[in-house]
Amino acid sequence: MTIDIPFIWVAFKEIIKALPTTLILTIVPLIAGFLIGIAVALVRVYKVKYLYQIANGYVSFFRGTPIIMHIMVIYFGFPLLLDQISLKFGLGIQTNKIPIILFILIALTLAAGSYLSEIIRSGIISVANGQMEAAYSVGMTKFQAMIRIILPQALAQSIPNFTNIFVGFLHTSSIAFLVSQKEITGAANIIAGVNLKFLEAFIAAGIIYWGLTILVEGLSFLLEKKVTAYNRGGVS
Amino acid sequence: MIYLQGIQKSFKKQPVLKGINLKIEKGEVLTILGPSGSGKTTLLRCLNFLEKPDAGMVQIGNIIVDSENATKKEMLAIRKQSAMVFQHYNLFAHKSVVENVMEGLIVAKKVKKKDARQQSERVLEKVGLSDKLNHFPSQLSGGQQQRVGIARALALNPEVILFDEPTSALDPELVGDVLAVIKSIAQEGITMVVVTHEMSFAREVSNRVLFMDEGVIVEEGTPLEIFHAAKEERTRRFLQRISGETFFTPLKEQVN
Repeated sequence: MTIDIPFIWVAFKEIIKALPTTLILTIVPLIAGFLIGIAVALVRVYKVKYLYQIANGYVSFFRGTPIIMHIMVIYFGFPLLLDQISLKFGLGIQTNKIPIILFILIALTLAAGSYLSEIIRSGIISVANGQMEAAYSVGMTKFQAMIRIILPQALAQSIPNFTNIFVGFLHTSSIAFLVSQKEITGAANIIAGVNLKFLEAFIAAGIIYWGLTILVEGLSFLLEKKVTAYNRGGVS
Repeated sequence: MIYLQGIQKSFKKQPVLKGINLKIEKGEVLTILGPSGSGKTTLLRCLNFLEKPDAGMVQIGNIIVDSENATKKEMLAIRKQSAMVFQHYNLFAHKSVVENVMEGLIVAKKVKKKDARQQSERVLEKVGLSDKLNHFPSQLSGGQQQRVGIARALALNPEVILFDEPTSALDPELVGDVLAVIKSIAQEGITMVVVTHEMSFAREVSNRVLFMDEGVIVEEGTPLEIFHAAKEERTRRFLQRISGETFFTPLKEQVN
């Protein structure tokens, strides 16, 4: 077997068309998961009555099971559930009309929420206790202190961890091809199968993933430098 | 005016304050002395409910709170009567010097941003930091940070400013600057409660000195009374040890 170098470029041009899908599958779950993550982290840090146990269970389950399983369960289970509800109340929802990507987005969002909540929680705990006391001492409520003093510092410190999760989820989005969503890995698989050139197609896909990752790391580095400037001391 | 009655506080069943009664007049500068573990910092923190007393009544200005049934709203109201200067400064790390001072004005006092900035700049001038307005706390020396802390408290124009060992974390050569600032504020007639180990400060600046040990007020009086004619044996022993230490430290250093 020989390697067909020019075909890598051919495959590259074809696969890159699936880039938007991969980006949607990465960015949407992370943004939605971020909001879930903040809420869950606050509930767990402050041990909010009743919600606390639910939040614990949520994080434990979604971090304790593979993401591929979430996608499968939601992809196969969710339509079933919707059909039952639809039948009972006569809503007339046709589950086969729901785009597949929606199921994947829900599954990835729930997973992202659980991972991000732990990152945010560790960020919150790492902010020195004195910051909260100082906020109280100038007459802030707990909520004001959280929003204005604690969270900005917690999130700024968490940027390297967020980058880690972003890169992880960029690669995890490739699972979507298992339920026939055509993202980068899916596209590579198709062009590989059609031309029977697997090595070349997956090298091309790898280059795209790697390029994206380098880009994200660069952006994160710049952002971190800007946002945590307050922490570095020295004279500006 | 501040009024404390029957303040009790325990940590894990270990009593730290055993029923403190105290009255502080407006404009008074009160220094609290005592060995570590005597409860002096806890007493200070009970004043603004950073520690919630187990029992007793706290009054600052016209806000009265019964600590046993204190609601969040009451605790917030009484906190707004005071401001605190911390041992480790506790400046908001992600905010610049002027923003640190503005923060309480904007959020808690609802002052407009522009006015808050003006007021803050004025107070920062008073503590000699007009040239550092846009620096971050991490870019300042300890002494400068503590002066920002003092400005932050002062800007709120509270009934009382609580100082929790404001110079204990500073390099010896920076202590003087900070004490000078506190001294100048004291002369403006602001009520202050100062927990400190700086005997010279207690002697020169305060109107009244309070000696605490094992959760009770052992003795109180004017600086003259406490430093030169303490009635209680415990007070005398403490003062002797403190002055003894400062006397012997240079000698010890020579030996080493």
